[in-house]
Amino acid sequence: MSSKYTEHNVTAEQIMLVVLVGVSALFIVEPILSNYPDDARVFPQLTASIVFVGSLLLLFRDYLPGPLRTFVAESISITSTDESDIPGSEANLEESETTDEEYEAETLGAEYGYKVDETTFMVVTTILYFAGGWAAGFLFATPIYVLGYTLWFRTNPVTSVLLAVLGTFVIYLFMTYLVLPFDQGHIFDFSPFLPLLVEPITGGGV
Amino acid sequence: MAAVSAFFEGLSIALSWPTIGWLAVGMMLGIVLGALPGIGSPVGMAIVLPLTLPLETTAAIILLVAIYSGAMFGGSIAAILLNAPGTESAAATTLDGYPMAQNGLAKNALAIATAASALNGFLAAIALVVLSPLLIEIVLAFGSPEYFLLAVLGISLITIVTQGSIVKGLVAGALGFMISTIGTAILSPRPRYTFGQFGLYNGIDFVAALIGMFAFAEMMKLAAQKQISQDDLDIAGSVREGAKTVFKYPVTTIKSGLIGMGIGMIPGSGATTSTFVAYAEEARSSATDGSFGDGDPRGVIAPEGANNPTVSGSLIPTLSFGIPGSGSTAVLLGGILMHGLQPGPVLFGEQLHITYALFISLFLSNILIVVVGLTVIPYASKITEIDTNLIIPMVIVLSFAGAYTLNQNWWDVGAVVVLGLLGFYMVRYNYSVIAFVLGIVLGPIAEQNFFRSLQISGGEYTIFVDPVNQPLSFLLTIAILVVLFGPFVKGRVERVVSRT
Repeated sequence: MSSKYTEHNVTAEQIMLVVLVGVSALFIVEPILSNYPDDARVFPQLTASIVFVGSLLLLFRDYLPGPLRTFVAESISITSTDESDIPGSEANLEESETTDEEYEAETLGAEYGYKVDETTFMVVTTILYFAGGWAAGFLFATPIYVLGYTLWFRTNPVTSVLLAVLGTFVIYLFMTYLVLPFDQGHIFDFSPFLPLLVEPITGGGV
Repeated sequence: MAAVSAFFEGLSIALSWPTIGWLAVGMMLGIVLGALPGIGSPVGMAIVLPLTLPLETTAAIILLVAIYSGAMFGGSIAAILLNAPGTESAAATTLDGYPMAQNGLAKNALAIATAASALNGFLAAIALVVLSPLLIEIVLAFGSPEYFLLAVLGISLITIVTQGSIVKGLVAGALGFMISTIGTAILSPRPRYTFGQFGLYNGIDFVAALIGMFAFAEMMKLAAQKQISQDDLDIAGSVREGAKTVFKYPVTTIKSGLIGMGIGMIPGSGATTSTFVAYAEEARSSATDGSFGDGDPRGVIAPEGANNPTVSGSLIPTLSFGIPGSGSTAVLLGGILMHGLQPGPVLFGEQLHITYALFISLFLSNILIVVVGLTVIPYASKITEIDTNLIIPMVIVLSFAGAYTLNQNWWDVGAVVVLGLLGFYMVRYNYSVIAFVLGIVLGPIAEQNFFRSLQISGGEYTIFVDPVNQPLSFLLTIAILVVLFGPFVKGRVERVVSRT
């Protein structure tokens, strides 16, 4: 077992496998509880069983007996090229990615003493954007998200504003040509204000 | 005769307006997306996929193929100028492309990449048309049990080729199948795993899954990576000399093309493998007079000559059996299914003209690569200078809008986030994302063929292992077992033999 495993009790992979075990168990049990007919039950239960057993094996691979452990944990390939022998190959690039992950970008937060991991920031802001889009509509959430994201990474404010306008325009195009209700949210409806925003630009064409 | 008339019908479709216009748009979009570090063809195709909904079917698929082909070349721009491949498949090009740029031969290297990629892509597209009558014969010999077993074989092969643990690959593939069963059951109108949520009745749209797995997960990865230097790059050298270099090494060029096309046909291998194999083979065969790693032009010809034929090669299993060879072909398969086409007998039967239109478009796109590629070279560095912090929010905006466009369903947008997170960790811990995607895309087809097989056999599972009545199914089952357990058994046998 690698030192990485011994240093941290729980890895992200273990969490992922536990989730997979739980979800696949649900996929096995639900058809029984809800009396699914055979033609709706067999295939999902079969595939869920593979996920369930496979995830359990992977979760407890370090406690498995020799041959089974080899089968579960060993990497096997039919392509013979060992990319690690080639300088700068993908195998080596993976190592450099680790270095990249340690890189800290210049952010607005760092200026005020807050250090937030870039990936975490990206995921959190994206989830907030999703929630904002659902609640108030993508048309209004998009400029806030794009401005917030780019300004956090100290992008030139003019570039940020231009990008926010471009992002909003893309959403507006979706809304207009594909007739999507991106100006309406499930909680807030700002669509009555839309003509006030668009008319000065389009000259009342909307 | 039917094939000849389908060929000419395909030719007229490929050359008609606006189809040819979409080909050009896709090609240019592909070059730009491929040149942007961290984007590449699967991400670009996944974002564009929902936007193709209003397009006519053939035009939409041709647009996607053109993006794929263009991105293959575009990836080399960042690889040569920045030592940062725009796509994984261009990683091998950095080995000699970047040293060439440092030696003042950036234009030569870019022209070599353009010429080698286009020339071999052009030849591979011709080979595809020539091979198609044989493919038609093979495809038409397959029935329901064979198609179900092929989906399983595809996932098994991907597991092995992607060099991970077999169990991880199987879990990934089965998880994809499992998620594809959410929603109304295929054979009986009964909702499954919807838990009273009306939005889940149509299931998780596989295009949303593709966007999550490729675009969202890739943006998470990109967010953590260091911004590449934006210093002004001096693009020196000669485009003409570079293009001529490709013809100085005809054996290297043709050999790389054959390697690319051959490896492209293997599910799961993709251009990343083919370009490295082509590079390694060239470095091995020219070891005596080569200066590989220091800017040897053959070190650029080999990977670039292999990348575009891989596109042609990977179309064979994708269109014939619905088994994609790479992430990009998985997205392409998604596009094919989204537009109501069925890989296999239909695409090689009544819709053969569409298949030929695709092959011919591939042929035309390689001519466009030369024209656009050689024109773009002096301005190439501008594309690579775009800040990743500007790319990420725009990709997210397009991903969410695209996912919502599919069915106007917020569950699809949520699936982008959830499956994107899953994809990020799957890549990090070496679980095959392609196997997962294949499972989710092929799930409904596999389930349908699974039940149709059981209906044929009266519920007997022996239909999959009957050597007398179903010899093809039997052979496929054996192939699955060999693929899954062969390497493991071989390793054990070798250990025992070496001990004795």
